[in-house]
Amino acid sequence: MTNAPTQPAAVDVARQVFQARGLTKVYGTGTAEVRALDGVNLDLPEGELVVLLGPSGSGKTTLLNMLGGLDIPTDGTLLYRDFNLAEAGEEERTLYRREHVGFVFQFYNLIPSLTARENVALITEIAPDPMSPEEALGLVQLKGRLDHFPAQLSGGEQQRVAIARAIAKRPAVLLCDEPTGALDVRTGIAVLEAIEQVNRQLGTLTVIITHNAVMADMADRVIHFSDGRVHDTQRNHRRAPVSTLRW
Amino acid sequence: MLSNLDLKLIRDLGRMKGQAVAVSLVMACGLAMLVMSRSLIRSFEETRSEYYESHRFAHLFAHLKRAPAAIAAQVAAIPGVSTVQPGISVQVTLDIPGLDEPASGLVRSLPEFAPPELNRLFLRAGDWLTPGGRGEVLVGEAFAEANQLRPGDSVTMLLNGRLQGFKIKGIVLSPEFIFESRPGAALPDNRTYGIFWMNYEPLARAFDLYGAFNHLALRLDAGAEEQGVIAAIDRLLIPYGGQGAYGRADHPSHIRLSDEIRVLATLSIGFPTVFLSVAAFMTNAMISRLLSLQREQIAILKAFGFRNGQIIAHYLKFALLLVGTAVCVGTLGGIGLGHRLVVMYRIFFRFPSLEFQLDRSTLWIALAVGTGAALVGVLGAVRRAARIPPAEAMRPEPPSSYRPSVVERTGVGNLLPNTFRISIRNLERKPMQALFTVAGLALSTGILIIPNALRDSVAEVLEFEWDVVQREDINVGLLEPWDETVIHTLRQLPGVVSIEPFRGTAVRILHGHHRRQLSLRGMASGGIHDRVVDARNREIPLPEDGLVVSSKLAEILEARPGDLLRVEVLEGRRRTFDVRLTGLSEDMAGMSARMERRALNRLLGEGDMVNGASFTVDHALWVPFLHALKRVPRVSWVAVKESLRENFRKTTAASINLIQSIYMVFAIVVAFGVVYNKARISLAERGRELATLRVIGFSEREVATVLILELVMLSAMAVPAGLLLGTGFATGIIHSVNTETVRLPLMLTAGNYTFAVLVVTVASGLSMMVVVRALRQLDLVGALKAPE
Repeated sequence: MTNAPTQPAAVDVARQVFQARGLTKVYGTGTAEVRALDGVNLDLPEGELVVLLGPSGSGKTTLLNMLGGLDIPTDGTLLYRDFNLAEAGEEERTLYRREHVGFVFQFYNLIPSLTARENVALITEIAPDPMSPEEALGLVQLKGRLDHFPAQLSGGEQQRVAIARAIAKRPAVLLCDEPTGALDVRTGIAVLEAIEQVNRQLGTLTVIITHNAVMADMADRVIHFSDGRVHDTQRNHRRAPVSTLRW
Repeated sequence: MLSNLDLKLIRDLGRMKGQAVAVSLVMACGLAMLVMSRSLIRSFEETRSEYYESHRFAHLFAHLKRAPAAIAAQVAAIPGVSTVQPGISVQVTLDIPGLDEPASGLVRSLPEFAPPELNRLFLRAGDWLTPGGRGEVLVGEAFAEANQLRPGDSVTMLLNGRLQGFKIKGIVLSPEFIFESRPGAALPDNRTYGIFWMNYEPLARAFDLYGAFNHLALRLDAGAEEQGVIAAIDRLLIPYGGQGAYGRADHPSHIRLSDEIRVLATLSIGFPTVFLSVAAFMTNAMISRLLSLQREQIAILKAFGFRNGQIIAHYLKFALLLVGTAVCVGTLGGIGLGHRLVVMYRIFFRFPSLEFQLDRSTLWIALAVGTGAALVGVLGAVRRAARIPPAEAMRPEPPSSYRPSVVERTGVGNLLPNTFRISIRNLERKPMQALFTVAGLALSTGILIIPNALRDSVAEVLEFEWDVVQREDINVGLLEPWDETVIHTLRQLPGVVSIEPFRGTAVRILHGHHRRQLSLRGMASGGIHDRVVDARNREIPLPEDGLVVSSKLAEILEARPGDLLRVEVLEGRRRTFDVRLTGLSEDMAGMSARMERRALNRLLGEGDMVNGASFTVDHALWVPFLHALKRVPRVSWVAVKESLRENFRKTTAASINLIQSIYMVFAIVVAFGVVYNKARISLAERGRELATLRVIGFSEREVATVLILELVMLSAMAVPAGLLLGTGFATGIIHSVNTETVRLPLMLTAGNYTFAVLVVTVASGLSMMVVVRALRQLDLVGALKAPE
């Protein structure tokens, strides 16, 4: 990894984690061409909790994939600190994901053959400076379920294991794709509380994408997407406590 | 016009073409074996019975010392006998141009002015003998080919001590010598042993047998009782030195071919069964996987009103397409292999025409067996899927349940990395999938052991039997027993280093109700040429008055050392005596009975006689020795150890190479197919899991490790099982050739095992690589969406 980023020494709110300029992603060619992202400019600083809102096909998932190093833009630049993600190769992006990014998915994506503790340990085995699996699971209030397999856990519990897995490496950024999409309201709230707590306690830049406009209230900043562009940005002066959210 | 459901079938098949090909090929291997072996059996049986009938192969045979021609009429009068063909049969040595050593041969007489009634010849080239002609001979095809003899060429024979030149009139085949070899030899030795036919009169005159015969062939009336006729013939021929009549079941050429048919029959059941079981499971695994991928599609079809029967039929068609492909490939493969094997068989078995005949009924059997295997594999899975109510099927399958594996429960768990846990728990969760992958890999490892075990066993025979046991260079037989002075004459031949005389005599050995006819050899105790060794390679001293026999003979006679055996001498004064069995010798070809020579001669009451000798010869004088030997009168046969060994090596090497290449293709197909199928299924079932690992930061190599680790664990289980299985196969096959004519020692070498492991490892390794490449195409983003 030639221009690989390094772990930040301390949280500095003023420092930008991501800087996107003219970020464009085009799928297909000719009449089948789809501009999933169309010249997005965006700065995401450390410690912020950002909610990306928008209808299906608005480009928010494409942006999340770019930020997570799963996809590369067709055009434009995307810097993670001073590391240019737009030009990174497959190997570099793998290393980037391993060391700096935590993912939380709508359908949890736990390894069914591993227990809660082992699912987290899977990451702590390969990350450079991880917390212990027990500590990570403690952060999401799952200390009592360490040795349960995914099939023995409720949906909410599975999602909390997924959050513990994502944060155990002390990532610089936590990317959450519809983290409550498969959960009922009560469980969804519990999961969002866990995410919010991680953001607060660890100062991790947290990006949540959702259809659910209610979640805008818990963010520092809400970015509205439509047609592959940033349509509107709104800053909350005060983050609403997650427990007050209802949908 | 294809229905849309059929269109879906074809497209599904297209997507799973790799697996479909793997399953079809494994099935095709089993079917190819089935088609090949059953068709070869049919080719042999039909060709043989047609040949036997058209050339009037005899039912019974008898050798005797000499009987006047009139006796033949008495034999013909025995109830049940329809035709009798008396004649002369003698052993001779020959001088073949271009062959240093004297060749040996069997010469048969032919009636002068009419074709023989029985055992008629087939003329391959040249002409028949001229009626009343002299100095003419017909030669068996195998010997003629090996020595490049053509009609018009000359051969010199030593007939009863007189050298005579003969012109080859024709090259022929006989139903009596489909397998043309020395008596008791397991493999043909066509360069130095041949069969010849001459007009009756010159042969009879040369051996003072004019107006008499020493060989009989008979055909029986339909429904005649063979044993009764044999007993009557034996009674009639005793005064004439009859050596016991025998039927086709004891006829060397007939036995040899029947043995081959028996081996093919075993092959036609054993191998296809195993291959098809593995294929059935692969089909099951593949279809089960397809069904769980298409759970929602099934639900939608059912919601639209398709009946369970239609859905079952749809997926069965899928399996039947695989079977159809397998039957086509298997049949073509079987026909191809059959043709190649027929070419090899033509070296051993001489028919006017041996052609591969496809046993068409096998195609139906193949179709039925293949379909059966596929149905067994598919039916359960399809019925389970069809039974799910549509609403339930439309929901994704619930997450799979896991538990810590046995290995972990033993406490080793804490030491294992998590990727290892993923692999081991997955294996344990699908034990049948694992079991059949192991079975398939074990099978391919196992079948690879067979050809090399045969090769090593043959090498052991070549080295042990012909270096350790037989240390002479050449054995020479005399026409008649002679007093010991003959040895002094033979010792004068150029280059003789040592000479050990022996006395052989035709005997019948009896114990209880068991009996066997063979040659009893009297030899010097403590000789250095033909050593008598036991199972542990220790030399057995020949006692003053005891008998040492092959352990195979003892087994047949149900005799143990210490038992008294009755020996009926079938020549000379035809004495009968009881002698104690003192030891069991290990030998690999034929069956032997040996005594101290002087003790034997005492029992025969004929004075100190010899009728053959073994020699070691100074290699610098080898050619002059052989040339001089060709001129020695009274020599009836010669066996040169090196030639026998060389011929043996050549013929076995060719056939073992062919068998090995066939087994190797099968093994590679199965190993590759089984691993590919397993890896593909794992990839399909766990694509989402593996993609997740990639997303959260595992490299391609690390993710591949999870998949490869599973396959490596399966291989680690399969390989020892395969070596065990192969040991079983080899033991079974080598024991099945444990006959009176040949016994192969079971040789299982580290080299053999290593080779098998290597081939399977490489085949499965390549297969893994193909699948690991597919990991690159994992849809990382797609895997994060809704589960399947």
